[in-house]
Amino acid sequence: MKKRRWLSFLILSFVFLCLAPGMSFSLQTKPLVLGTTDKITVLDPAKTYDFYTWEVFQNIGEGLLKYKPGTTELIPGIAKSYEVSPDGLEYTFKLREGLKFTDGYPLNAAAVKWSIDRVMKLDLDPSWLVSAFVERVEVVDTYTVKFVLKEPVSFFPALVATTPYTPVSPKSFPEDKVAEPTVGHYGPYRIKKWTRDVQLVLEANPDYYGSPPKSRLFVVKFYKNAATMRLALETGEIDVAWKSLRPIDIRDLKAKGKQKVLEVPGPYIRYIVCRCNKPPFDDVRLRRAIAAAIDRARICQEAYKGTVKPLYSMVPMGMWGHIDAFKQEYGERNLELARKILTEAGYSKDNPFNIEFWYTPTHYGDLEADVAAVIKESLEETGMIKIDLKSAEWATYAAEYLTAGVMPIFLLGWYPDYIDPDDYTSVFLHSEWSPDMGVFYSNPEMDRLLDKARTEIGIEKRTQLYEKIQKLMAEEAPVIPLFQGVLTAATQPNVKGVVLDPVMLLRYYLIYKE
Amino acid sequence: MKYSISRFIVSNIIKNIFPRKGTEYFVLVGFILVLLIILMAIFAPFIAPYDPIKKVGEILERPSGKFLLGTDGLGRDVLSRIIFGARTAVLVTFLAVSISLSFGVLLGLLSGYTGGKFDTVFSLVMDAMYSFPGLILAIVLAAMLGPGILNTAMAIAVIYTPTYFRMVRGLVLSLKESLFVEAARAIGAKDRTIVFKYIFPNVISSIPIVLSLNAADAVLTLAALSFLGLGLPAPTPDWGFDLRAGHAYLASRIWWPSTFPGLMIVILTLGFSLLGEGLNEILNPELRR
Amino acid sequence: MASLRVYVIRRVLVAIPMIFILLGIVFFIMRVVGDPVSAILGGHAPQEQIERIKEQLGLNKPILFQFFDYLGQLLRGDLGRSLIWGQRPVISEIWDHFPATLELSICAFLVSILVGIFTGIIAATNFGRFFDHAFRLYGIITYGLFIPWIGIMLQLIFGVYLGVLPIGGRIGTLMEPETITGLYVLDSLLTLNMESFISAIRHLILPSLTLGIYLSGIYTRLTRTHLIEVLNKDFIKSAWARGLPKRTVIFKHALKNAFIPILTMMGLQFALLLVGAVLTEITFSWPGMGTLLFERITYRDFTTVQGIIVFFALIVITVSLLVDVIYAYIDPRIRY
Repeated sequence: MKKRRWLSFLILSFVFLCLAPGMSFSLQTKPLVLGTTDKITVLDPAKTYDFYTWEVFQNIGEGLLKYKPGTTELIPGIAKSYEVSPDGLEYTFKLREGLKFTDGYPLNAAAVKWSIDRVMKLDLDPSWLVSAFVERVEVVDTYTVKFVLKEPVSFFPALVATTPYTPVSPKSFPEDKVAEPTVGHYGPYRIKKWTRDVQLVLEANPDYYGSPPKSRLFVVKFYKNAATMRLALETGEIDVAWKSLRPIDIRDLKAKGKQKVLEVPGPYIRYIVCRCNKPPFDDVRLRRAIAAAIDRARICQEAYKGTVKPLYSMVPMGMWGHIDAFKQEYGERNLELARKILTEAGYSKDNPFNIEFWYTPTHYGDLEADVAAVIKESLEETGMIKIDLKSAEWATYAAEYLTAGVMPIFLLGWYPDYIDPDDYTSVFLHSEWSPDMGVFYSNPEMDRLLDKARTEIGIEKRTQLYEKIQKLMAEEAPVIPLFQGVLTAATQPNVKGVVLDPVMLLRYYLIYKE
Repeated sequence: MKYSISRFIVSNIIKNIFPRKGTEYFVLVGFILVLLIILMAIFAPFIAPYDPIKKVGEILERPSGKFLLGTDGLGRDVLSRIIFGARTAVLVTFLAVSISLSFGVLLGLLSGYTGGKFDTVFSLVMDAMYSFPGLILAIVLAAMLGPGILNTAMAIAVIYTPTYFRMVRGLVLSLKESLFVEAARAIGAKDRTIVFKYIFPNVISSIPIVLSLNAADAVLTLAALSFLGLGLPAPTPDWGFDLRAGHAYLASRIWWPSTFPGLMIVILTLGFSLLGEGLNEILNPELRR
Repeated sequence: MASLRVYVIRRVLVAIPMIFILLGIVFFIMRVVGDPVSAILGGHAPQEQIERIKEQLGLNKPILFQFFDYLGQLLRGDLGRSLIWGQRPVISEIWDHFPATLELSICAFLVSILVGIFTGIIAATNFGRFFDHAFRLYGIITYGLFIPWIGIMLQLIFGVYLGVLPIGGRIGTLMEPETITGLYVLDSLLTLNMESFISAIRHLILPSLTLGIYLSGIYTRLTRTHLIEVLNKDFIKSAWARGLPKRTVIFKHALKNAFIPILTMMGLQFALLLVGAVLTEITFSWPGMGTLLFERITYRDFTTVQGIIVFFALIVITVSLLVDVIYAYIDPRIRY
């Protein structure tokens, strides 16, 4: 009997230990812990082409130029300064001296050239950001490197700040294939330990030239599920909940007020694409009818609980050149106009315009089905449109249906590659690239305006051009902007230094706990 | 006198309807549950208080007099979605079970009766599929076929075909050598006649048990596929899909959009398995304990 | 013993065509319905790049050749490389995720066996009375439970309302024990790391309960049926008559005889355990094979999906082989 009492005591105390909530254990250095539902896809600047991994490279790597936190202003990174030749074809960068990659290899002009050449030679997903613009890279001397461009590009400095231009060490990265070493970068942090899809442990890089990171040890925890991340924030397991909390959780956290919620408009936009080269949307009237009937406010309120903002141009709010082009053309929403246009096009209540509307259920988060449902309802409110909702998984959707022109009208989203209006317009509207986006739009006047804006130097002239482009876009409506994402982070009250800006990449090295 | 006779009759009827043994209660309860859900599916438009795919209230309203089971993330009535969800569940289950039944029985008859290489190959393929975790096969298939009622039903049907195939083939093999088949062959009956006139009726009697157990499984498989977003396209009311949508609101202590659709899945599965188990014990009394 | 060896060899030989047929089914399903190359390259790819990748992956050959190529690769123990992101070897993706699944499966299995046998004994010893009916019903209900739903209910109760247990993940921040087996519970015990051990257990409780409850019903029924049968046998009756205590009779005599059918059922249930693990993992964001499978299906990472299925097939077949052999060893009649 005595033995059994002991046993039950042991079991009871074990159960108690396991259930005791919020047990804290002492750790030598309390790290700062950030949670995210994103994932590191591939930790190689020559291959990675997603926002989250780019963010990691902002912290373990550094480009020749970088954005000043909180702004879209470019400041020197590992380059001290740069010069542009008068014809706009040659950019010469002076590097900081005596820098070393985390594997000990010297970071000099030769290493920069090697890295850029590697990106171009591997020719993978993000390589076009280099190879479409750069003719060749030359080593002028140990610490001077020159980029020779194919043609003048007004936004080249913005390109240089992107991840494919981040130098890596020839010692740790193979020249001819993708690799994911945890050394061989150069940035404020270096990788201490990386467990794929579980966590990334960063520690301060002692060789960094600038001021050291505010938190010496920084842990990124990867979540598969936003609800789990939110609970982790509430129980204090994580200090910062980053991309992406769900709208309902943001609303709740705000209401509870125990954690801080930070929000800024992000450069992430969502829009509808019309396939312009085939019926029915080769008829501009039908595109205009959709543009007039769509209810942006309802999408933002219902699907996103007010955590995104209605958008009336493809150039996002907060970026220079933005005008509310669609609002000027159609108003916020104009059912009457939509009905009028549809009647002109030969449709009526008894003979409605039947169309398949496509979306993809997981790629843009699990609210996408809700967004599609709201769009269906808002368009059918005209009484003259009948929507048949169709969905496909992302791989099929993006790779097969989109370029093959299977889907007459569908939802898509855009994260910028570089921070410039060009990245929000040319890809959709220029006849050369619009087939890649499933738009198949071609208008010589539009092409002329876009080409001119790409090469023109000087922000005022470019602003005028982009205003013209946006007006023309609103008239023809090949793409219909819906809303602009808001960047949201929730933190514990004692966390400081979370800088959210339109560049959208969080700088871990600025975050600390008081 | 008259009174007592009628009372005798009534009490006898009641005795016959309401079983005394536990097992018979299982069958009765299972039957009632399944029947209720099928009725719900058929009469959904008359029962449901609201349109299941329209926003009818504020988002995520708590259960109240106006919305008995609350509203979901898009302001749609959870009760109405559950009622219409019965349609999806019943329809897909019915399709899946019919497809697997017809293919399984047909192939089983053919394979068992003809024998030879054809039989060997088919048996191997079916055994391989049978031994493999069914849902995983269904997930791959559903992902490849894309969403839709028929596609989902097919993905589910594929994993249950081997069950019927194996059962029927086994029976056919044992019946093939039995006296009455021998006799039929002796009087010169054609193969087709033998298969459909003599063997098939004997096979049929053991189908209902397997059928209702498979239906239970099929409901779960459909729910799993929908939960993974591989089932029907939104905004079709679908229990599994709604459960997944409701899962997202968990941390906000919003329990109603996930609890109720999940409960319906459990009820329908339970109905089918009670029915199957009960039938099994009644029809195969030697197993009864 | 010679006959056992013959039996084992025969059993292995039967398993081989099984594997190939399964491979064939999966391979053709995936190739006939989708196009892997455009899935890898995204929408921007020009035709010549598509051709280049196709050649690189051997996708330009006739489909039958591709299948035999793949089989050849498999025989060399190579599952190929993932089609997306870093194009890592599929085998390393699997080894990254398998320990999590194994840990979950073992715990859930233990839960199901313990709960099942316990409830089965109670039902059998109360034959015909309330507990008997109650646990028979339990046996049927659990089998019909929908895993994500039980999971979500447990998450709601213990994670959200009571706030005592985590609802996702495997272990707390920076608490991973040194890797020895990859099973956190075991590793933390081996390295005497109490902190990690408790954290790992806490994370395991809800998922293994979810899966364990779902699987326990069948053992309840099985234990009950066989225990009743055995309890009615003469030797048990004589044991009662000799006045042996109830506990001794049930555990020493009766349960031992019910062991073989339970063992068989464990083998049969194994596929169900895997299926359940997939759903449990997705519900609890458990970083195992199920989560991996689901993620890669979404991205149409054909080679990884194929690899996972091959891996599952191998496990299922190996386990059924093992169970058969153990069964044959215990009960020689089975060897025909």
